[in-house]
Parts: sequence; structure tokens; C-alpha cells
Amino acid sequence: METLYNILIDPFVQMYEAPDFLMQVLWEGLVSGVLYALIALGFVLIFKSSRIFNFAQGIMVVFAALTLVGLHENGVPAWLAVPLTLGVMYVLAVGIERVVLRPLVGQPDIILFMATIGVTLFLIGFGEFVFGGENKVMITEALGIPTGALEFNPFGGFVLIEEKDLTAVVMAVLLVFALITFLNYSSMGRAIRALGDDHQAALSVGISLSTIWVIVWFIAGVIALATGIVWGARAGVSFALEVIAYKALPVLMLGGLESVSGAIVGGLAIGILEKLFEIYWGQPFLGGNTETWFAFILALIVLLFRPQGLFGERIIERV
Amino acid sequence: MTKLSKIGALVAAGGLALGIGVTSVAAETMYTPNMSYRTGPFAATGIPLMNGQRDYVNMLNARDGGVGGVMVDFEECETGYNTNKGVECYEKTKANAIVTQPWSTGITLQVLPRTNVDRIPILAPGYGFSPMSDGNTFAWAFNPPVSYWDGASMIMNFISDGDMNSLKGQKIALLHLDHPFGKEPLPLLEQYAEEYDFELVPIPVGLKEMQNQSAQWLQIRRERPDWVVMWGWGAMNAGALTEAVKTRFPMDKFVGVWWSGSDDDLIPLGEKAKGYKSISWNVPGDYPVIDAIKEHVVDAGNSMVEEPADMDKVFYQRGVVMSMFLVEGIKAAQEHFDVGAVNAEQLRWGLENLNITDELLEELGMAGMTAPFQTSCSNHTGHGGAWMLEWDGEKFVKASDLLKPDRASIEPLEKEKAAEYAENNAPWPGRDGLPCE
Repeated sequence: METLYNILIDPFVQMYEAPDFLMQVLWEGLVSGVLYALIALGFVLIFKSSRIFNFAQGIMVVFAALTLVGLHENGVPAWLAVPLTLGVMYVLAVGIERVVLRPLVGQPDIILFMATIGVTLFLIGFGEFVFGGENKVMITEALGIPTGALEFNPFGGFVLIEEKDLTAVVMAVLLVFALITFLNYSSMGRAIRALGDDHQAALSVGISLSTIWVIVWFIAGVIALATGIVWGARAGVSFALEVIAYKALPVLMLGGLESVSGAIVGGLAIGILEKLFEIYWGQPFLGGNTETWFAFILALIVLLFRPQGLFGERIIERV
Repeated sequence: MTKLSKIGALVAAGGLALGIGVTSVAAETMYTPNMSYRTGPFAATGIPLMNGQRDYVNMLNARDGGVGGVMVDFEECETGYNTNKGVECYEKTKANAIVTQPWSTGITLQVLPRTNVDRIPILAPGYGFSPMSDGNTFAWAFNPPVSYWDGASMIMNFISDGDMNSLKGQKIALLHLDHPFGKEPLPLLEQYAEEYDFELVPIPVGLKEMQNQSAQWLQIRRERPDWVVMWGWGAMNAGALTEAVKTRFPMDKFVGVWWSGSDDDLIPLGEKAKGYKSISWNVPGDYPVIDAIKEHVVDAGNSMVEEPADMDKVFYQRGVVMSMFLVEGIKAAQEHFDVGAVNAEQLRWGLENLNITDELLEELGMAGMTAPFQTSCSNHTGHGGAWMLEWDGEKFVKASDLLKPDRASIEPLEKEKAAEYAENNAPWPGRDGLPCE
């Protein structure tokens, strides 16, 4: 009985008794969720337009962040380093399209997936060759990102909000709005969606596959840069950032591989729920570190009921 | 290409390969592979250490023509701190190696049984499995100058100000990597918690959570521990320090193991991290040995350090000390067996008879850089002791006298766990007839 009380009632009592702490947990969960959603967006965009699961998204985050910091270290001012990094990401997108994707048009999806593993390995080696493997500091202040903290005192307690986390959330929201606007209201965006719906039909009306792929990979590069800046500002820029890409996998399972809104809702849901579970159930009952598996279990439960994910498209194939 | 010319090319290539083989046999060297991790999530920790290790050996090769007149072939095999790759590296290098330097507790545990069969000594300075100290059980493994349990006991000694009974009723959080390395201090700390009646709160950090430790630091905020002890590696250290600053945890109540004390993790935080402490078995400073490395290796363009200032950092200098242990083992073996190039079995003897004295450190240009110690058949660690370093906002400075491990508590635990390991891995050879001279 006591065990049942501890599991089912006590966590909620704790939430009620320390609402400021609960608010802090929710805020931290929200920030993590926004960051997961950002990474997942990179995957979704590429999958939507080309049916390629881009294994290289994680290393693209590292590569973009390292390029930005590397340029700045070499005397390029921050205002110029950002567009130059975007230029590098564009060149990368063109290179991937020309060297990796174009020769593999028409090949099975798994071949293209394997090719992105090749891109990952190349970027790891090339990145380490150019930038070295040491920890680097994100140029947070040079980019004009505030580094202070806001303190609130609700319910007699305190909630700390880092200004850079707040900036990350605002930046992510703006990026998502820009993306949704681009995809829904620009002709290029509609072309990307058309390509995602039906490759052959899109090609038959004159949509250029190679142009779209370059654009989509470039947008994934832009998202990678944004992700690299906000994650890098939290814990430094190093190849360890690549690991965070794996956090996007359960987000994709939950939200669906083809849905922009799924990536956002999935990311936020996982960020907040995993934090609540870890703090109120994981640490007291399971010894902590439940964040490594919680999201996958949640995604699996969702898949039991909705195999296409919460927002994925239900594909009915004729037998 | 005609068939004849193809055959000719093959013969020429074969002859060339044979020639290279003959040359490498003719030039006597000692092959001491190092399983480095200059890439991957732990590279930030690995690079300065590997640089220090490599540069010390290269300095001896350049200045003295090697060790005892024999050049040391210090080759790196990159593992990215991945256990599977580490085992591959071990298998790839073992044929000619006189030592294996596995560089991760996970890899050490994997290769430990194999080294008994292959008869190659493991040198794991300041890492690996603490019971390896028991040389009667782990005849081929060495972890000088102190083990993780030594480190945990010295940290507890420091935070209790020498009186462990004063910890009664306190709460101590252990923020650790959820990995064999991170779990190493748990048996001793659990024993202490029971004996001295304090509460130990282990807080694991998963490999994927190293960069985002908000949940762990929320737990620390809720638990309000008196001290946080960190057993971190690689990106985990920077992540934890950033969160500690962010959550305004008092830095003077935050202590790390020696792998959580890299200048590179603290520099971005600067003044904000002032007061953070890390136990260390080397003290950073200006030493003649560093000048010699600069002269013979760095200025000659043969080092991988990016800036000479990197040579002043704790981790670089620790790498230098680590290679010194290896070289002194080689020298001891050369002297004892009266040979130039020592083999793996001879080096094992050398590492078992290390005698690092103050006089020797002075002679090597390393006086005060590390503590003197001696190994023996039953003591493969030496247990020399360590100092507490403190971050002053710009660099690490010495913040204590030499601390000594609580051997009275640790030794029985080492023997118990070593026996348990041998039983679980039976038939375990132990010393397997190796003489104790």
C-alpha cells in the first residue's frame, strides 16, 4: 500500500508542495524539448522530400557549430561568420547532392541511408582534420546572445531561467514559423511537399529533383547551425554534440517521420515528460538516468496504437 | 600491363616489402602502443593527455637516443574511447607490443583476461579497475600511482578535513558517468557511508545526457547535498560544471576526480567556476622536463600541441608523468636483465619494481610534479598519494598538502574484490608461477 502511495500519490504531493521546483522542471523539460524538436526537424525535412533517413544530421550540427567557431577564432567577426557558415553548409548541400545522392537516384532507400552513414564518417574525419577534436567555446556573446539569468520568486521559492535558454526557445519558435511559412506558402516549399507526396508525379510536372535536394539539405544545414549554436552555448562545442542526434530518434518515432508538426509536438512532449518522469519517478524509484530510455518506451507505446506515429501519414498499400 | 610486367611489379613490391621488414628488424626499437582517443565525445579529455605521453617519449628519443640506447616506438591506435575498438587495437598491436595502454576502464576490463594469456603488461596509470593493485591476483596489470578507490578516500579525507566522523549526518552526492569508470568509487563510498553514517546519493549521467544534465542538477537542487563529488570524463565534465554555475551550486563544495580537472573544461567558465576542486596526482607548474620537451620536440615541430601554453595545463603534464612511469619501468627492466630492448615479460618485471623517489624525480626534472612511490609483487599501484587542486579563475593551483589514501579501509576491499573477480573468471591464473624477486 505504501509503495502504491509512493508511486501514485506522493509525486503529485511533491509537485503541489514545491510548485516553484515543478515550474523549474517544466521549464528545463521545455528547453530540452525545443532542442530535440530542432534536431528532429532536420531529419523530417530530408525524409519528407527524399525518403532518406539522414544519419548525418547529428554530425552536421557539430560541423556547422565548429565552422562558426573556427571562422571566428580565425578573426572573422560573428556577423560575418554566420553567413559564411551558411555558405559552407550550402556548399556541403551541393556537394552531397552531386557526389552522393545524384549517382544513387532510383536506388533502394537503404542504399541512400547507408550513403548518409558514409557522409557522417567523412564529416567526422574532415571536421577533426580541420578543427581538431578539442572542446571549443561557442561564441555566445559575440553573437549577441545574452548570458545572464532571470530569477523569479513564485510561491516563495525560485525559478531560474537562463537568458540563453530563453533565446534558444525564441529562436526555435521563429525558425519553425519560418519553415512552416516557407513550406506552405512559397512555390519552392510546395514543390518540396509535392516531391514528398509523390516523386514521379512531381517530376512529371517539371519539379527539379536535384534543386529540391540541394535546398532541403541546405535547410537541414541551417537547422543544424541553429541547433549547434543553442546546444553549443549550453555545454561547449565538441564532437560530443553528435550524440544528441540520437535523442531525436524517439521524437521521430513519436511524431512521425514526415510531419513537421509531429517533430515539434513529439520533441516538446518527450522533453517535458522525460524530465517529469526522471525527477518524480525515475530518481526516487529507479536510481535515475531514465532519460536514456524513457523516450523510447513512450514512443513504443504510441507505436502500439499508432504505427505511423502521432502525426505520421497512414500509408495503405494495395495488395 | 603485360603479364610479365605484372609479375615483375609483384616481385619488386615483394622485394621492397621484404627490405622494409629487414630494416625494421635491424633497427632495434621497443614498441609501446597507446590506445588513444583523439576523436569522439571524449576527445577533449584525451588530446592533452595523449600529447603529453607522446611528447615525453619523443623527447627521450630526440635527446637521449631513446631509453638505454634503444628507441621507443610510441604508436597510437585510435579507439574513440570505444571499448570494441579498443579490443581491436589490442589484438592488432599485441604481436610486437611490450605493453598495452588501454586508456579506458571498459577496455581495461576487456583485455585484462587476455593479457594473462598473451603475457603483455597493462599499464593504466590512474585508471582501470582498483583491485588491479593486488599484484598476486593481477600479475600483468599495473595502475600507478593511485587507484580510483585511493582517489575516493583522499577526496573524502579532504572534505572531512581529516576527520571522517565529522561526515555524520551529511549528504554527499556522487555525480558519475553511467559507465564502468563512473561506477568505480561506489563500493568504497558505500562502505564509508555505512561506517561513518552519512548519506550517499549516486546520480548517474548517461552517455547521451552528458551535454544536458539539467535533470541531474535539478535532483541536486532538490537533495541539497553538502558536497557534490564528480566522477566524470570527457564532455560530462564541461556539462556538469556549466550546470553547476547555472544552478548557482557553491563551487567550493564541488570536487572532482583527477579526470574532472582539465583546464580546458574550466577556462570557458573562468571566474564563475572559482573554488572548484579536483584531486590530482600531478601538480602543474614550471618543470625542467617541460622545458626539455619544448626544446627537443615542440620547437622542432614534432609535437601535436597547438600552443606552447598548452604544455602548462594539468592534463598535458599528467600525460608526461604517465609516460615517465612507462620509461622508468623499461629502465628498471634494462638494468635488471642487462639488455637493451626489453620484451613484454621483462617490462612486467620492471613495472613491478618501480621505485620513483624524490631523487629520481629531481634527476628527471620532475621534482614535485608527482609523489614518490614504489611498486612490488603485491602492490601494483604504489599508492603514492595526490593533492587537491583548486581552480582560481584562470588556472589550477595546489590547495592541499600531499594527501595519502586510507589503505587500512581499501586494502581488505581490494583483496575481497580481486578474489571475487578471480572466482568469477575461474580458472584465473593469478601469478601463474611468476617469481617474486
